Amino acid sequence: MNRRDFFSWGTVGVAALCSAVAVSLGAVGRFLMPSVFYGPPQSFKIGDPADFPFGSPTFLVDEKIFVFRDREKGFAVASAVCTHLGCTVAYFPSDRDFHCPCHGSVFSPTGAVLHGPAPRPLNWFEVTLTRDGQLRVDKDKTVPPTYRLMV
Amino acid sequence: MKLIREIWQSIVRRDPLSTDKGKSELVFLNVWLHIHPAKVKKENLRFKHSFYLGFITFFLFIILVTTGIALMCYYRPYPPQAYQDMKDLQFAVFMGPFLRNMHRWAAHGMVVCVFLHMCRVFYTGSYKKPRQFNWVVGVLLLLLTLGLSFTGYLLPWDQLAYWAITVGTNIGSYAPLIGGQLRELLLGGHSVGEAALLRFYVLHVAVLPSLVILLTIVHFWRVRKDGGLSRPVWKLKPQKQEALVTIGAPAEAVPLHVAAASTDKTYGLMEVVTGKPIFETITPEEEEDTVFSYPYAFVREAVVLMGTVTTIMMMSLFMNAPLEEMANPAVTPNPAKAPWYFLGLQELVSHSALLGGVVAPALMVLALLAIPYFDRNPSRRPGDRKWVLWVFTLFVVANIALIIVGTFFRGPGWAWVPPWVHVVARPE
Repeated sequence: MNRRDFFSWGTVGVAALCSAVAVSLGAVGRFLMPSVFYGPPQSFKIGDPADFPFGSPTFLVDEKIFVFRDREKGFAVASAVCTHLGCTVAYFPSDRDFHCPCHGSVFSPTGAVLHGPAPRPLNWFEVTLTRDGQLRVDKDKTVPPTYRLMV
Repeated sequence: MKLIREIWQSIVRRDPLSTDKGKSELVFLNVWLHIHPAKVKKENLRFKHSFYLGFITFFLFIILVTTGIALMCYYRPYPPQAYQDMKDLQFAVFMGPFLRNMHRWAAHGMVVCVFLHMCRVFYTGSYKKPRQFNWVVGVLLLLLTLGLSFTGYLLPWDQLAYWAITVGTNIGSYAPLIGGQLRELLLGGHSVGEAALLRFYVLHVAVLPSLVILLTIVHFWRVRKDGGLSRPVWKLKPQKQEALVTIGAPAEAVPLHVAAASTDKTYGLMEVVTGKPIFETITPEEEEDTVFSYPYAFVREAVVLMGTVTTIMMMSLFMNAPLEEMANPAVTPNPAKAPWYFLGLQELVSHSALLGGVVAPALMVLALLAIPYFDRNPSRRPGDRKWVLWVFTLFVVANIALIIVGTFFRGPGWAWVPPWVHVVARPE
């Protein structure tokens, strides 16, 4: 083997080794990223429209959403997860604002940031009526705060 | 009797400790003790020089490993069993609360001591050449200590744990580009749940402790190789070149400088290589100031070890580790606070998540890592380092002030509430 061959094969060998290491590291990374998430589903039924009162929103604990029902405008669903760091916001009927307990962010009734470090308004989710007459919320589909479902 | 003596001598093969040779052999024939030099400089043993903070930190880590292994016997990293196991540890397991308290107070103590140790090393200028890299290893150990505290914080699976980790991992998700994925990787899901608890457990009991042990070995080895504990600056003597003996080197090569041997020591010369040693060498005058590690250093270390264990035990007798109600993803406690050592960070985050939660801490860590390479002033005397000392003091004071604000001056909704004001929760 002459000097030129040695370096050619050497380069190929080092490149192959580096690729193998890169692929292995990629595989380890992919292994650590779960293929299946066993968390709660993103799209779910929340019940019969008649179950929800008019006026103050209903807070669904497990789903972390507020369900609004208005006589003229209909249904709307807002996320209860603060856009700052994921704490659960509370609704205060006194000023009709959402208050985050962690860092003091305040959101208006439309979800807009009034005060505090939250970078984005609260999310509003699409709410639809299923064939069996139930309300379905899809957390993967965000909608503008003006979105309403008339039932 | 003869057999017993033979067995003993097969284990301990040194000369009697009454002889200097025995004292030396105790150190360098023993795998555990040979990280020490056989002789140490007298001044290095003074308490007021290092406050033994590195030793205390290491001993706290040992307490954490032993109590941690004990706690593992009763803990299942799966909700809701995890919380039930905590209740068991608290109320049913013999000595359970005591062991858990020890683990918690030693963990808090380790965060404090690592930080104080870093301050001591900085103020004495002990990160300077040739110790730059050991400072970097130390900063990495500080980060690992915080990582261990953070991952351990979730394990009780109570409200305190759940919301501290929710807030903490959301801070990470503000990192540009990779933030969201990083959080998913850490949590093994979209939110703090079963997968997150298991992953934090694996990090807490296997990955991070292994890294700490590996880096601690490097850290200790470097302390030794870089010339032992750094001497107080007022004890530094100007090195006398003429006191050194030059051992032969090939004609054109740099001569090899070594210290002259004192008459009462035996040296075995294995090989002569050329080049200067990278570490501090001892001059013959300094040689006079040394004492045998046995018993002078070992006794002091044993006293510090016992003091550390006793302090943690006393604290564990009188102060209980908190355990709140079980984690409830639906109800955020108000205020939801991170562990105290992250409250400075949370205070910054309350102003801006990206700047305070990602940019500021990243810059702080980079600055710490870079200190020995940017501060090129070779002098360790405080008079020559006024500027650096002021900057570092500002860094220390700012961090402590932020933690104090986050801990004592923030109430519901993260509003400014001094500790002497009692707040009644606002009705919804």
